[in-house]
Amino acid sequence: MADIVDIAVSAGSFQTLVTAVKAAGLVDTLKSPGPFTVFAPTDDAFAKLPPGTIQTLVQNIPQLARILTFHVVSGKLMKADLAKLSSVISVEGSPIKIDCSDGFEVKNATVVAPDIEADNGVIHVIDTVILMG
Amino acid sequence: MTIATETKAKLPPSKHEFADVIHRLEAGGAMLPDTPENLMQIIGIYKAYAVPMDFYWRDLLYIAERVFLDPFPFFKYFIPKEYLELHNHYAGDDADLRIWRGEATAHPELLEFMEKGETLKMPKLLHHWLHDRVNMEFAEECMRAMLWHGKDMGWGQFDPYLDSEEYIANADKAIKAYFKYNPVMMALYKAFPDLFLEQCRQMSYYSNLGLFWEIMAPVFFEMSDIYDEGGFKGVPDAMNFLVNGIFAIAGRPIYHHVYIRGECYEIIPKSKGFMWLYEAALPYVEAVFYRTSPFRGTKSYNAQAKQVPDHQKDFHYGILYADVFPVGTAGIPPTLLMQDMLHFLPPYLVDYYHQHCRGEDDMLIQLGITFQRSMYCVTSAVIQALRTALLYPLDDPNPKHLQANRAFFEAQIDRFKRPEARLRNIQSHNYR
Repeated sequence: MADIVDIAVSAGSFQTLVTAVKAAGLVDTLKSPGPFTVFAPTDDAFAKLPPGTIQTLVQNIPQLARILTFHVVSGKLMKADLAKLSSVISVEGSPIKIDCSDGFEVKNATVVAPDIEADNGVIHVIDTVILMG
Repeated sequence: MTIATETKAKLPPSKHEFADVIHRLEAGGAMLPDTPENLMQIIGIYKAYAVPMDFYWRDLLYIAERVFLDPFPFFKYFIPKEYLELHNHYAGDDADLRIWRGEATAHPELLEFMEKGETLKMPKLLHHWLHDRVNMEFAEECMRAMLWHGKDMGWGQFDPYLDSEEYIANADKAIKAYFKYNPVMMALYKAFPDLFLEQCRQMSYYSNLGLFWEIMAPVFFEMSDIYDEGGFKGVPDAMNFLVNGIFAIAGRPIYHHVYIRGECYEIIPKSKGFMWLYEAALPYVEAVFYRTSPFRGTKSYNAQAKQVPDHQKDFHYGILYADVFPVGTAGIPPTLLMQDMLHFLPPYLVDYYHQHCRGEDDMLIQLGITFQRSMYCVTSAVIQALRTALLYPLDDPNPKHLQANRAFFEAQIDRFKRPEARLRNIQSHNYR
């Protein structure tokens, strides 16, 4: 099986995410044994952000890394595991609300493809970039 | 308008006291009604605010980075040339992200005013003593509001960091370097380290607010230019410009660097990942627009009679609640801000004030109320930006999501139910 980064690269619909992860220097972390749970926003999710948002973040790596690590949770949490929880703590430190009562929602994002297993964790594909707060 | 129709079709009407405002927010509007008169007023005042703000952010950074813990900071309001020429990161040709198409150095109208003031060309010190200058006291009051309310606002990591071991160690290095050749201050630091640390924390808030306003000045200048070019069709357009701006610069680093004898001490390094949105903008709105503190001299409060809330979170002395009236005495920050803006009003706003109330005599009040309207527009932008970031699109097909948006809007508007709030007043054009 491939790791989280390899899966994201080969899927083709995470180009912005992969570019951001590379820019933030998080590739090695996400290739490490982990395990991690990654809520991966698609390119369409990033495109929904107002213009300039990504440009400023890419110019400021620690700030970019903070937003990206908000999408990562330590441990391998499948949809079935998350369904038992109301929130999880991100690597960034802020909580992420989980709602599996009607579909599978992570904060204000909807999971469009759950449980993509990798060597070092699991990816849940989301349709919106999630932000702290 | 399709958005509004769809929203209404999916949710029953709100039963909130301010249902009209809730429905307007749900249709992508602002708390401020969309009229040409309101648009003209808010843009005009943004321009008048941006010019002194160009002074505020430069001086705040100068104080945070250079004046630092000077025990006798008599000249802290005398910005050196270096800081007047400091390039704004969001204006000019070499901007990180160009928000204003104008220049990166101090605004020409500001430079002109600094030289002549309301009176005539004379040495800086005389302008200072005559109070014929930009009033930094207002900016410092805003900074103190952020420092004072920082603990319990629940936004960002900036304030908790100020109490961390890491911050104390960084501050210690800078303080020792700053007073290296001053044995008296060094001895005082050894005796009362917490006193110095608290002053250093205040300096970090100077930096925070300076970096926050560095962005708002070009945002307001650009809005004024767009309006002059006929670019905004209504209040929602102006608000959406602000919403987009909030996102575009959300990731701007918030830090505190101090320069001592040519060396940079990073008291709060950029690598902490502190961001404009979380560590500056949201705390600013909460501390300054909503809370602040009862200003001395405007009114007497009896704390025993519960005229001052027990908890800081219930403070409501910000511009959104202000009873704008002229005081005319020195030292009252909102009046000082109005005085600052008076010098830079665009001609169309001066004409407008001449037509109403007592004409020129009460221009300070009229522009204060215009400022209040304009800050309701900025607060609307913050509410819509938070809704975009944390909740759902206004045209979301899922009724549960629309209900969540509504609950959020209603919770925000609940803060304006208290009698002092001016939300009701700004719905009418007769409030001036």
